[in-house]
Amino acid sequence: MNRFSRLPVMLGVVAALFVGAIALGACGATPTPEVRTVEKVVTQIVEKEKVVEKAVQQTVVVQQTVVVEKEKVVDKVITATPTSEKVLRINLATYPDTIDPQKSSFVNEIAHLKLIYEGLTRLDKDLNTVPAAAEKWAFSQDGKTLTFTLRKGLKYSDGTVLDARRFAFAIKRNINPATAGEYAQITDEVMGAPEWRGADAKTPKEAMAKLEATVTDSVAAMDASGKVCSKDTKAEDCLTLKLTLSKPAPYFATIMGLWVTYPAREELITQGKETWWNSSKFQIGNGPFVLKNLEPYVRARFVPNTNYWRGLAKLNAIEFSYITDSAIGFQAYKNNEFDIVPLVAEDLKTVQADANMKDQANVYAGSCTFAVMFHQQKEPFTDPKVRQAFSMALDREGWVRDVLQGLGAPTLTWIPPGFPGYKKGETRWGFDAAAAKKALSESKYGSVDKLPPVKLTFSDSPRNRTRYTWLAGKWKDVLGVTVTLDPVEPTTYTALTKNVATAPQAYILGWCADYPDPQNWLSVYWHTGGFGSRIAYSNADLDKAMDAADVELDTAKRADLYAKAQDMLVAEAPVAFMWNNVNSYLVKPWVTGIVKTSNDSDFPGSGDPLTIDIDLSKMKK
Amino acid sequence: MTKYIVRRLLWMIPVILVVTLITFTLMHMAPGGPWDRDPGARQVDARTQQLLNTRFGLDKPLFFNFSDGNPLDSQFFGYLWGLVHLDLGPSYRIRGADVQDLLFKAPEDKPWWESKFGYSLRLGLYALVFSIIIGIPLGIVAALKQNTVVDYLSLFVATFGVSVPSFVIALFFIIIFAVGLHMVDIVIRDWSSFKPWIIPAAILGFPTMAFLTRLTRSSMLDIMTQDYIRTARSKGLHERRVVMLHMLKNSLIPVITILGPALAGLVTGSFIIEQIFGFPGIGREFVLSIQRRDYSMIMGTTLLYAVLVAFANLAVDILYGFVDPRIKVE
Amino acid sequence: MAVTTQTQAKVPSGMALLEDQFIKRPPRSLWSDAWRRLRNNTAAMAGLVVIIIFLLLAIFAPLLSPHNPVEFFPNNTYRPPFWVQNGVNPAAGGIASFPLGTDSLGADVFSRTIYGARVSMVVGFIPMLIILIVGLVIGVAAGYGSSRLDNLLMRFTDIVYAFPDLLFFIIVMVALRDSWIGQLLNGLVLLFVALAIVTWVGLARLVRGQVLSLKEKEFVEAARMVGAGNMRIMFRHLLPNSLGPIIVFTAFRIPNLIISEAILGYLGLGLRPSINAHDIFITSWGALLLEGQTAINAQPWILLAPAICVSLIVLAFNFLGDGLRDALDPRSK
Repeated sequence: MNRFSRLPVMLGVVAALFVGAIALGACGATPTPEVRTVEKVVTQIVEKEKVVEKAVQQTVVVQQTVVVEKEKVVDKVITATPTSEKVLRINLATYPDTIDPQKSSFVNEIAHLKLIYEGLTRLDKDLNTVPAAAEKWAFSQDGKTLTFTLRKGLKYSDGTVLDARRFAFAIKRNINPATAGEYAQITDEVMGAPEWRGADAKTPKEAMAKLEATVTDSVAAMDASGKVCSKDTKAEDCLTLKLTLSKPAPYFATIMGLWVTYPAREELITQGKETWWNSSKFQIGNGPFVLKNLEPYVRARFVPNTNYWRGLAKLNAIEFSYITDSAIGFQAYKNNEFDIVPLVAEDLKTVQADANMKDQANVYAGSCTFAVMFHQQKEPFTDPKVRQAFSMALDREGWVRDVLQGLGAPTLTWIPPGFPGYKKGETRWGFDAAAAKKALSESKYGSVDKLPPVKLTFSDSPRNRTRYTWLAGKWKDVLGVTVTLDPVEPTTYTALTKNVATAPQAYILGWCADYPDPQNWLSVYWHTGGFGSRIAYSNADLDKAMDAADVELDTAKRADLYAKAQDMLVAEAPVAFMWNNVNSYLVKPWVTGIVKTSNDSDFPGSGDPLTIDIDLSKMKK
Repeated sequence: MTKYIVRRLLWMIPVILVVTLITFTLMHMAPGGPWDRDPGARQVDARTQQLLNTRFGLDKPLFFNFSDGNPLDSQFFGYLWGLVHLDLGPSYRIRGADVQDLLFKAPEDKPWWESKFGYSLRLGLYALVFSIIIGIPLGIVAALKQNTVVDYLSLFVATFGVSVPSFVIALFFIIIFAVGLHMVDIVIRDWSSFKPWIIPAAILGFPTMAFLTRLTRSSMLDIMTQDYIRTARSKGLHERRVVMLHMLKNSLIPVITILGPALAGLVTGSFIIEQIFGFPGIGREFVLSIQRRDYSMIMGTTLLYAVLVAFANLAVDILYGFVDPRIKVE
Repeated sequence: MAVTTQTQAKVPSGMALLEDQFIKRPPRSLWSDAWRRLRNNTAAMAGLVVIIIFLLLAIFAPLLSPHNPVEFFPNNTYRPPFWVQNGVNPAAGGIASFPLGTDSLGADVFSRTIYGARVSMVVGFIPMLIILIVGLVIGVAAGYGSSRLDNLLMRFTDIVYAFPDLLFFIIVMVALRDSWIGQLLNGLVLLFVALAIVTWVGLARLVRGQVLSLKEKEFVEAARMVGAGNMRIMFRHLLPNSLGPIIVFTAFRIPNLIISEAILGYLGLGLRPSINAHDIFITSWGALLLEGQTAINAQPWILLAPAICVSLIVLAFNFLGDGLRDALDPRSK
């Protein structure tokens, strides 16, 4: 038996099949346009439209062939399975861990809540705080009392009347130590909130009741006359919510629009127990949509809320799916199974090169800033000159172009563009190789070889590997510093970065806006004891400046004080500000009425889903 | 036989105990805890974290409590106590939910096969059936027609099955059947019919199928040259009878050996398949629980797998006796 | 040349040759006999050659690769291979200097493939050796030994089966990362020891199953009759006769290990990356496969080279394994 003869044949076959399979993959990625004669196409359009019209009348799902005209009479045939209904199909990628308003903290969780509920205030398209469930609000003279007046006639989707007690319950639930939510901290300005929130379970009952009573007094639902609502007060009369704050907080009206204040219903939470949020039976809200059904990891379907005060949504339904693999999500989008998918860096060039899809890419400013954090108490970053040198060695433009593939915007400051407090034209500590080298030589170390070893720690993932390799490469090229790359398992990394003692020398971290106010960017992060304390950042002068700004009631003066504070922050280069994220999505041409804001980290237009519509005629084309 | 089975079942208790002990020790050795989420997001603040630890008993000593009166008032013995009462503890990732509910209870009062485990069990069984009905016949034919086109084809399929990771195979399948031929949808919004299960099951079963093919072929080749096969043939037995009765039966030992653990592996789901198809199985719990230090879920999934493996291997050992009566499992 | 002459000079005379071949020759053992037969099996030898070529590729990677695999060429991201001009990414066509195209950062895929052979060969083979040794010893002992021993060993494998691999990797990687063993070869040693520890069980059960069946067969009976010891029966009779499944297992486990390395990298437990091209283990085929998967819509060709390389290894092993089994099977002369 000649065994040798079969070998080259075998290898040839295998190689050919692999090439074939991969080529097929490539073809699938850019479907080969089908060439047809013009006449044929025309007849097909006519036939198909008839079918579709019929189908619309009978409201049946049909297989539909859409013919898109392209250059050179080459037609691309897309088949879709749209219904006559206007359903917006969105790939949200990750299924939430919880959809409880007072326990959620992630974008994908909040995306669900934003459809089901509405807070006292909301953000308009320019990120201004505007009335929502509350028709108006007012601060007292000293800025320590905030009174909301609810709209009359507000109802939940099931018809139950919505009154101030519902909001008081939600706010108290957020503070309650029994809830222990991720965002419990955010309402700490409420008088008595930090004390109750931090109370140990072993606290004596009376003491606990006392702590709770203080908060109850601070979050008071009242009738028009100023009398606190009792159990017997009619819901229609209980429309005033008075918040007593421990310090003036002009930004607090904005906070009252966040998901933590969404009025989840006490009786339904009791009925549904701890996992009440998992069921459409108990998720009954006051928002623009109603959760129709929730199938974990498969889909969530929302239909318009007929009781919503701003009117009925134009869409017939919104449907979330949770395909985590972005390559698959992209294929499904091209196969017309999604109307909106996130656009990832890997696919950006392919999309831009495709004549059809080019216009479907929506890339616009996001709400996060990322920086290379330097540990202020770990050598060599104790020396400002070293921090400046490391910052000036980084070419932000190159980073955005080569590493982020264009999905990002270089920055040298903290508050991102589009947010109140953004400083245009910051140039300090930008890329300057010569100045970087000079700064390093002026540091107390004097030269590169005297620098203590530098380790760049990161949460290990394929994407981060390339990112950090790039950073280390730049520092080597520009400064001649050899930085050790130190990948760490993701949760271990989180645990490390949480504690100032174990926080790495250098690592990348970002901050995304909770609400559009400079206080959220500056005071929450950089105040001593804030998030910046993880890298041991503490600046008494800056603290003073931010304290003054936080309590300032005059809008213009306040903005000015924050601008000065941000100036002080950037001055010493505590960290190397690197880039702002962008929101990037693919949106089908038949989706209309999307109002984009930088807050769209879940899907475009999520700020106001009422205006989103689907043009069925375009879908047929 | 009954005595043997009873003894084996009793042996499962120490096996489970050891697995519990090892897993418990390992997971608490891993740095970080259930409240350490994505570093980019806002973290549970230190005070709240303490409160949560107290509430879930995570501030108790791991094994022995020397400070209080009761030395067994510890996390480990607390878990064991729950385990005896079939209580797998609270999940930390999905707060408020119990592990046994997350795994075995379907949402909204649906029957248990609509639970996460139910989904994974069904997909795993389909995958197993797929790998058996394609793998074993292909292996037999490849052995009988050694060095022919069929043999090469089986080698190619097997090579493809093991050298190309399943996430790539999944993409090929999707591009061919969904994008190219429009036979199925990529995004499956409804799993109630059989059709959407076919591709995920095939992808899940592909590597097992490849392995089965080669194993069957190799086993058959071993048996084919044995004297008793020649004897059987010379006795004038019908060829099909020779193949089915003598050759196949005798070559089944390695096939059965791998089918046991393969079954346990397939029905406990696949992280990758679930990420790709948005499949509501338990595979992601195996990975996410560990990544997120969801302690009770780590224990729950590990013990589920341990029990399945133990039962599968027991079944394998019993089957040995049927295939080859000379094997005495005692 | 010099070598040839020397060899020629040593050619023995006719008598010496005869003596060499027949008289001095030790009795042909199972293994030397097998080796002779294996050498005559062209397909098996071809498989061996393929493996040797990959080993050479791994060793001489710096001489063979046109670029530094961790050097990024800006404006050259996602280039297709040289033969593709109108690919998915019209912004860039294939050019000869990047024969297999480039990745997301503009590194050369061809060079990455060559360098990747290093990690992947080590990750594929070294743990396999450990797995073979542990798996065979435990499998044969359990199958051939007393039923009590069998029960103990098999319950032990049940435990290891149920072992949460991922958790174990995290502990090993985190706890030992900064120790000397964790630093060794960019963390590679740690990786393959950890991989081996959790993967021998399948083989052990496979071998045990074979041995259980074989030990009741006539030839074992016969061997025992002529007074063969337990060791001899185990390693001369039982093991060679259960080679078939062992070989299939080996051929399938190697690609599995190569891919495992990639998946561990994906989950944040991979090798230390390096910007230093002089480091030995920079990149792997697994990493390329992963990158190809994320970039499937932009540069699907990234998958081509690593997939073919892994397949070639699998095929080579299948042929070598088949040859080995034939060579060790006295019936298939």
